[in-house]
Amino acid sequence: METLLETKDLVTNFYTYEGVVKALNRVSMVVDHGTTFGLVGESGCGKSVTVRSVMRIVQEPGLIENGKVIVYLDEEDKRAGIDLLQQSEAYMEKLRGDQISMIFQEPNAALNPTLSIGDQVSESFLFHQKREMCTKIVDDLTAPGCRTFYPLRRLEETIYRAAAKTPDAFLLKIFDRMPLLSRWQKRLKKEAKKRTVEIVRKLGIPNPEQVVDQFPHNLSGGMKQRIVIAIALACSPVLLIADEATSNLDVTIQAQILDLLRKLKNEAISSILLITHDLGVVAEICDRVGIMYAGNLCEVADVREIFHNPLHPYTRALLDAVPKLSAKGVLKSIEGNVPNLVDPPPGCRFHPRCPHTMDICRKKPPKMMKTGNNHLTACFLIGGGEE
Amino acid sequence: MGQHPRLRELKFTLHRIFRNPAAIIGFTLLFFFTAVAIFAPQIAPPKYAHNPYIMPHKGYSPTPKPPSKASIFGTTSGQYDIFYGAVWGTRTAFKIGLFVVGIATIVGIALGAISGYYGGIIDEILMRITDIIWAIPTVVLAMAIVVAFGRGLDKIMIALALIEWRWYVRVLRSEILTLRDQDFVHAARLMGVSDLKIILRHILPNAIYPVLILASMDMGSMVIIAAFMSFVGLGAPPGYADWGQMVALARNYIVGPPDYPFKFWYTIVVPGGCIVLFVLAWNLIGDALRDAFDPRLRRR
Amino acid sequence: MLAYIIRRFLLLIVVLFGVSVLLFGILMTFSPERRAATYVTSPQQAKDIPKIIRQFGLDDPFYAQYFRWIKEVAKGNMGWSLVSARPVSEAFWTYLPVTIEMNLFAAPIVIFFGIWLGTLAGINRDTWIDHSTRIMAIVGWSLPTFLFALVMLMVFYGYFNLFSPGILSDQLAMFIYDNPDRFHRYTKLYTVDGILNGRLDVTLDAMAHLVLPVMTYIIVVVALNMRVMRSGMIEELSKDYVITALAKGADKRTIHIKHARRNALLPVITVAGQMVAYSMEGSVAVEVVFNRQGIGWWLAESAIQLDMPVLMCICLFMGVVFVVTNLTLDILYAYIDPRIRLT
Repeated sequence: METLLETKDLVTNFYTYEGVVKALNRVSMVVDHGTTFGLVGESGCGKSVTVRSVMRIVQEPGLIENGKVIVYLDEEDKRAGIDLLQQSEAYMEKLRGDQISMIFQEPNAALNPTLSIGDQVSESFLFHQKREMCTKIVDDLTAPGCRTFYPLRRLEETIYRAAAKTPDAFLLKIFDRMPLLSRWQKRLKKEAKKRTVEIVRKLGIPNPEQVVDQFPHNLSGGMKQRIVIAIALACSPVLLIADEATSNLDVTIQAQILDLLRKLKNEAISSILLITHDLGVVAEICDRVGIMYAGNLCEVADVREIFHNPLHPYTRALLDAVPKLSAKGVLKSIEGNVPNLVDPPPGCRFHPRCPHTMDICRKKPPKMMKTGNNHLTACFLIGGGEE
Repeated sequence: MGQHPRLRELKFTLHRIFRNPAAIIGFTLLFFFTAVAIFAPQIAPPKYAHNPYIMPHKGYSPTPKPPSKASIFGTTSGQYDIFYGAVWGTRTAFKIGLFVVGIATIVGIALGAISGYYGGIIDEILMRITDIIWAIPTVVLAMAIVVAFGRGLDKIMIALALIEWRWYVRVLRSEILTLRDQDFVHAARLMGVSDLKIILRHILPNAIYPVLILASMDMGSMVIIAAFMSFVGLGAPPGYADWGQMVALARNYIVGPPDYPFKFWYTIVVPGGCIVLFVLAWNLIGDALRDAFDPRLRRR
Repeated sequence: MLAYIIRRFLLLIVVLFGVSVLLFGILMTFSPERRAATYVTSPQQAKDIPKIIRQFGLDDPFYAQYFRWIKEVAKGNMGWSLVSARPVSEAFWTYLPVTIEMNLFAAPIVIFFGIWLGTLAGINRDTWIDHSTRIMAIVGWSLPTFLFALVMLMVFYGYFNLFSPGILSDQLAMFIYDNPDRFHRYTKLYTVDGILNGRLDVTLDAMAHLVLPVMTYIIVVVALNMRVMRSGMIEELSKDYVITALAKGADKRTIHIKHARRNALLPVITVAGQMVAYSMEGSVAVEVVFNRQGIGWWLAESAIQLDMPVLMCICLFMGVVFVVTNLTLDILYAYIDPRIRLT
């Protein structure tokens, strides 16, 4: 498997009134092409912050302090890794929605209530696929069966040819802002709408032509989430990041969405980075799992490994805490509380709650070490290895 | 970590208020005005003991006299001492503001709470009545009431109090409507807490913030409206220590002789400046309160 | 949608009815003798006050007098104005165009600046742009309109000798008054009439006299507009759909203008009714100070001289304007916000 995304020693802090929240403490994570990576952890452990740092949409007062986020967009070319943290905002704007997409937890709030569904999905196409659409329009205009009035057709052809060459031309931007001249976009918008209907249909929504003209409040929660996925998948991204995308849905809808994601993974997307706190979802759909605690990545392994052979004490406690029908007696829980990240415990952040704490755990943070077949653990007890 | 949570929240709120430099300026100005109002008898000893609000004047000459040793800020048309008027005008301003805002707040909160909490037909009727009073702008309606009841500062205060409560009813009602359906209210009701107690102990402390902001801004607005009414001639009589009245006296002298147009600047700058600074103080405080209480901006 | 409009319209009727009752109630606080005094034009008639009371039914029960009054109002007869020595309705149509002219120039300025500055402040929160516009808004809100108008007059007219008070300069005013056949008053708005009559100097003169009044009285309304726009933008920019748009790869401009501002305009529409009310209050102050004979000036003069019929008329007029404006705004709001359309 080729590496798609690699974060190295990612550090993100939030500067709040109560102090500096050290949300990410040198997170190093690897996601491969063609896999579904599940990032698991309790609420507040930094899963969302990690992926938002990758996409560089961390909200104020957060700041990405240090580290590298390297993407290898081209599966073939291993040397073409790009550090996203060094790129300009314009580059990131081109990347988001096109190569890497993200879907969020609350589908009811994720859509703009005053814009139609079609408008919002078309935006993805209009941001990233202008060139392809313009070329297609030019082809349509020069095709023999075209019935538009000849001079108008020539004019549109010239405009679209120019737009296909330089979609971000300054002149076109000015035209967009003026009331009458922005009409040149009519064909472009119609083409985008066509593509919108297609992708909405592909996601299993009935009557896409009508749905496209409706507004978010006309749709149910599950449908809205499908639309959100449609927006994310519009430009066939290489990586889809799902930030607790099914946590707010009914279990049945959740199952449908997971099925949908599985189907689409084979057809449209290459890789998925799924964030969840639900181990059941992880078992269903993920190929590889990473466990996070208090801003640190504790353990990473293939999904079967993690469930059959959990090594890190936190992972083991987590799996122990899942109630099983066959078990009897008192439910097991993890002693203590999630630490305050303004003043986190020194050394390993899990050490106050760990049943196997050693002296060194209080002093130094453990490094991620190989502890088996594709299995990485950050624990002095398991992996050994001092800094 | 051991501090009582309410104390911590209070400290945090105070920090958020005073983080804003505007708040510091506002409170300083307010402090200054309060001091002047309290110590008015000492700063500007009244000439007529029975009614200190009548400004002393030496003579009746219509031309204002510039600042001199005898009168620090000069005199208005009619020879009223501007300094005296400015000092005692502070008391008048506080009187107007506190009276109108006090009554409007109490009536508004009471009606707003009943309307918002109980809903139904009471709400409908109260809202229609409020709508009716809402239909005419404050100044216009105040003028109509003053014409009916007679001139005078006290009549203006009553008129404004009769009008201003409409804002408080609306604001409190909308806050209560959002709070009423929250779980903690349901829980209290299920526990059998009486309605009055729910309103007083649970709902009002959460709903009161916009009312405080509104009250603070209104202290200033009421003074402006009263000043305008006096300026037009419907309020305090000439010679009364009211800033608006003093501006009215200055009206014919704002443009001096052609060679020296700003000759009578003191007749308008002093009372006008007092009005502006007083209102500015309350508005700065209200604005700082608005920022401090905004839940979205809190944890930054 | 239609049901919504009909419902709001019926409500409008109810509210207007209530307003008229309220105003009439204020009128009735005068004793019958005092009200009879308005019909008296010479000391001789003062002896006949009881007869006047009986003649005009001034001590009939409340509802009887009210219905009589409403019938007259519906016919357009609002009584006699002492101040203008004309029927109230006739005087009303003379004074209305002056106020309308001022509002016509002020409204676009208020809308444009309020929305533009408010959006800017909301987007760049806590930067110098935000702070300076906030300060401008607070100071503007703290300035009494009449005081600011006086100061403006003092500075620009007294010192620089530009922008005299009044509506037109004296020669042009006299010219128009003396030559009704050469200068047709089509719309009664001096600026428009100037163009229609081919006399651009009249238009320019009227506009020169409008500069100070408009500048003065928009300050309060722009401050309010800006503040609401700003808080609307801040609220919208913290919503989830903004992050979705960000994750789509939208550029900042699209997010601010296409997504956030569109939603932030809704609360502004809600508050627009209040802005109309503040405009009316502001125009009273400005017309009094700048000596422009419009509705506001008429109101102040009538109030000083205790001319009740005029006050009733103006209050009723403002009530109607306010209620109709709110109805229009509600319909506009329902039209723009698709969530409400179905209700």
